[in-house]
Amino acid sequence: MTDAVRPVSILIAALGGHGGGVLTEWIVGAAAHAGYPAQATSIPGVAQRTGATTYYVEVYPQRVAPGAPEPVFSLYPTPGDVDVIIASELLEAGRTIELDYASPTRTTLIASTHRLFSIAEKSAPGNGVFPREALEAAARRLARRFIGFDGLALARQHQSEVNALLLGALAACEVLPMTAGDFEAAIREGGVAVERNVRGLKAGLEWVAAGPPAETRPAARPWDRIRAERAAALGRRGADFTALAERVEAEFPEALHPGLGEAVARLIDYQDRDYARLYLDRVRALAAQHASPRLLERFARRLAVWMTYEDAIRVADLKTRRDRFERIRREQGAPEGAVLVVTDYLKPDLDELYGILPARIAEPIARWAERRWPEGRPTVGQHVRTTSVLGYLRVWGLARMRGLRPRSLRRRREFALMARWEEAVHAAARLDDALACEVAELAGVVKGYGEVRRRLSAALARVLDEAVRPALEGHGDHESATERVRAERLRLLSEETSHTEHHPLPSGERAG
Amino acid sequence: MERSFAEEVKQLALGEGQVLRGEGILAITKALLQSGVSYVGGYPGAPVSHLLDVLADANESLLEPMGVYLDASANEAAAAALLGASINYPMRGAVTWKSIVGTNVAADALSNLASAGVIGGALIVVGEDYGAGASVIQERTHAFALKSSLLLIDPQPTLQNLARMVEEGFGMSEASNLPAVISLRIRAAHMRGRMVCRDNVRPAISMKSRLERHSFDYARLSHPPSTYAQEAQKFERRLPAARRHVVEHGLNEVRPGEDKRLGVILQGGLTPTALRALELLGAADAFGRSRIPMLVLNVIHPLVPDQLLGFLEGKERVLVLEEGMPCFIEQELKALAYDHGMTTRIHGKDVVAAQGEYVPEVVLAALARFLGGEAEARHRALTAHAGQGRALLRTPLPKRPPAFCTGCPERPVFSALKIAQRELGETHVAADIGCHAFATLPPFNQGNTILGYGMSVASASAVAPNFGKRVISILGDGGFWHSGLTAGVANAVYNKQDSIVVVLENFYTSATGQQSNPSSGKNPRGDAVSMSIVDTIRSLGVSWIKTVNPYRVGDTLKVVKDAMTTAVGGLKVIVARAECQLERQRRVRPETAARLTAGERVEVPRFGVDPDVCTGDKSCMRFNGCPSLTLRDNPDPLRDDPVAHVDQTCVGCGLCGEVAHAAVLCPSFYEARVVHNPGAWARGVAAARRRLIGWLQPA
Repeated sequence: MTDAVRPVSILIAALGGHGGGVLTEWIVGAAAHAGYPAQATSIPGVAQRTGATTYYVEVYPQRVAPGAPEPVFSLYPTPGDVDVIIASELLEAGRTIELDYASPTRTTLIASTHRLFSIAEKSAPGNGVFPREALEAAARRLARRFIGFDGLALARQHQSEVNALLLGALAACEVLPMTAGDFEAAIREGGVAVERNVRGLKAGLEWVAAGPPAETRPAARPWDRIRAERAAALGRRGADFTALAERVEAEFPEALHPGLGEAVARLIDYQDRDYARLYLDRVRALAAQHASPRLLERFARRLAVWMTYEDAIRVADLKTRRDRFERIRREQGAPEGAVLVVTDYLKPDLDELYGILPARIAEPIARWAERRWPEGRPTVGQHVRTTSVLGYLRVWGLARMRGLRPRSLRRRREFALMARWEEAVHAAARLDDALACEVAELAGVVKGYGEVRRRLSAALARVLDEAVRPALEGHGDHESATERVRAERLRLLSEETSHTEHHPLPSGERAG
Repeated sequence: MERSFAEEVKQLALGEGQVLRGEGILAITKALLQSGVSYVGGYPGAPVSHLLDVLADANESLLEPMGVYLDASANEAAAAALLGASINYPMRGAVTWKSIVGTNVAADALSNLASAGVIGGALIVVGEDYGAGASVIQERTHAFALKSSLLLIDPQPTLQNLARMVEEGFGMSEASNLPAVISLRIRAAHMRGRMVCRDNVRPAISMKSRLERHSFDYARLSHPPSTYAQEAQKFERRLPAARRHVVEHGLNEVRPGEDKRLGVILQGGLTPTALRALELLGAADAFGRSRIPMLVLNVIHPLVPDQLLGFLEGKERVLVLEEGMPCFIEQELKALAYDHGMTTRIHGKDVVAAQGEYVPEVVLAALARFLGGEAEARHRALTAHAGQGRALLRTPLPKRPPAFCTGCPERPVFSALKIAQRELGETHVAADIGCHAFATLPPFNQGNTILGYGMSVASASAVAPNFGKRVISILGDGGFWHSGLTAGVANAVYNKQDSIVVVLENFYTSATGQQSNPSSGKNPRGDAVSMSIVDTIRSLGVSWIKTVNPYRVGDTLKVVKDAMTTAVGGLKVIVARAECQLERQRRVRPETAARLTAGERVEVPRFGVDPDVCTGDKSCMRFNGCPSLTLRDNPDPLRDDPVAHVDQTCVGCGLCGEVAHAAVLCPSFYEARVVHNPGAWARGVAAARRRLIGWLQPA
């Protein structure tokens, strides 16, 4: 019986409020326009509020004479019996696969491959983004045909919407009896942003017809290019960079040149040539321990980031650069002639302010302040309009105080902890490469501003004492020591998130 | 309102033989008009919220001209009581709500209604919010129908049949004097299809042709001694009458099949799932012609013993497909078979999952087992690939729970609550029903209990006096007007409860689709109303009332901390007032677009993150969770963790900046206000500024 003509089934996986409902209406509309019986349904429920949600459509691919018996339409997709899956986002495509809806012998999977991150991915410590490769691999393996394109990018390019592009792709893959004309008619009868959506429909059709463009993955940027770019970017300090770049080439293996080059540029930009030299000396010192390239690379990267810690001066500097305002104009898509007003939300606390001052002066103030406000120092909240002259000057003035940095309290404190970490790395390097790499990675936990950064710095100090020192003094078994240090790092990173992580979620967004 | 049905509503005027295309909800509404209802009402709730939206949209053009009264019921109890009109007067009336919860709220009025009995058809359209996508506790309406003797219709989900069952429901209600319930599953309510219409019928009694005399009959009062007689009538007269109607009007469908040994008895609502499963197992065709005989029960209470026995006659094995527990149909059938010494083997929950929605996977597996042989082979083939996806993906995909919309005015309140508790220690938070229940999910994780709509404050009554800190109850304006006012606030004031109530007033019942409520300033009919939450609470004698603009997180934070620490006893009420952003955007977006094309001055504020200032610690995410606040790859070659990023969907509510400030996070956030079509003066000033600033910026 099942060899006879059957309804064509379409499962649409979307996010609430992202056009899945409209896409469904277009498909039903096209079927009606072409005279094919169709039925659709959805489970919006509370999922309509940006949660994962699904829509389901069935179209009978033959016209049925009025009065003749109607085909039976199911209100549910059946795993393994779905002809087309349309996903408005890559993770949602993955979800339909996770739930066995896609069939390798049956299903055409059309997905926009852009990502909208789930809250779990967003608040995970470090990088919690679900690996895109796994999603795309699964889509290729478990669908008869996989049509994937970055709908968001294409939609911007064609000034249209993702769901219109997906409709175009659906029309192109000819699984349904309706023609492109029927789908366009459905959009026109829908009457919402008709031209915009018809553009998308056509773009989708063309994309599938043309097939995916050849992969153009940018290879790791060659050292010469970095060298030239960085020198140019540093303007009059470019010469300093070139000089040190030569030193990098003379003293370090080629594999390290790009990383060290970036680092040197960053340090010169942050402070000056001497500061960058100091940096290279410290990397050199570790290299002298016959450290592995892997260890050197990690240490060098962490050290560069740490040595360019974000003090008030750095923030002011980054906030007042010409290219920053150009970037904002670009990102906000401000047309020519439009006026851009930027308001910065700044709220340094006392530590960050007197941190700029020379240690001799600031140290007693700091001691007093820490006694006075042990729970965290008062803050100076301000909304600065950095596109106005006075507002700009306030921040710009702060950025000019770079000269104070070498003697500043903040630098003394950062360097004190940095030195302890550096010692630990050296000590570990003498014992075991893997252990040393983990110790080097520890520097990555020091992040953020004000209270957050102080808490994480204190935590690092604690780990150096309680986990790393014993590991270095302890004898043998470096493997478990390495594991312990690694575990400590992950624990530190997740402390902040701990109770947002393991939290039960409703089954409401289960597909189908 | 979330959806305007202005277009669909035009189809409600269609006449004999014309074809209507639309949602199940629309078909039901059309059937109400074809049945000559005198009045309609109800309380919104998925999956039937849109039924009230449709009625509201149809009120001016259709209901009023026909004299049909539309009641914007304050809650489900009020909606059930509305049906009291059909006790004494031959008026047809219909109400709607979300079940099981709405039915619980309506229970008192329902019992009284069913006992008194009706002379005008009374129909209750319940959205059976059960299974995947459901938003409430998982119970079914069946038990209510049994204990109160309500007629329960579980229709086969095609638009045509939904309409027919509505019309038959009124007839059956009048024939038996019992209220009828038509139960609509989630997918059936949202189903889009087509139906052939009949003419609408003008009600004999309506606002256009009013009653002249009231009718007094003590026998129709649900009050002793009448109640004793009414109980007897239910079982001696009313239910038997309903059974006769079911048979005479062929409400249940017997589908013959050549297999004489087997049979399937099922709830009407499960029919398409079962027929598709049979087709996949090779026992039916695409048009539902099944080899296995089926008894489709569109009416699941009362059941008709003769009909059931007739179906069992001569069959070896019969499978009962009945969603949910307890399995009343299976039990009644087994008892019946036993009493009549039938030898047929009756399967049910022994081969089908006991509870949970009967999705295709479940029904397929059950039917494959029941049929055996070739069917099982086909089932294995269909599910051969099962589990491969999970294997390839290795780790389970991150869940994507519903969340506050971008720019939602409720989110900042929970940011403030989270920050306040970080500073003053965490306390017990009584959550309620509404969008704000999303705060129980990451990143806020605020809310220890949910006890039902408007019940938050009451649910904290015994916690407050026994808890070391002041407890906080959350109440939306929907929940406040539904029952939070009496069961919550009044109850707390009366008991001198020393706690904090946070009322989120966004001027709509938003979670169900922005239906208007007393805070909206108008009712669904469009009549202006002026009911104020603050005045109402003050009139109860609450003196500590603070109104805040939720987007000012700093101010809200101060007020919350004040409420948690003040020496003032009693109830402290914080009213956070700001319009539902979803509704606001629906209004503002087109306006802005129009003004832009007209070349007028438009300011578009949006927020941003400086990627080189952001260190990727993600603290901002943990106080916010806005969909537009997301991640992007770190542009810094020396850093690997992603950095925060505000995408194009930002509506410029300012929360991320406010949170960065209030929680002292980082200086990465900025507001970028693009002024389109500025005046000549503004353009000149801006140019001058850029020149001056330019001198200070190294190229």
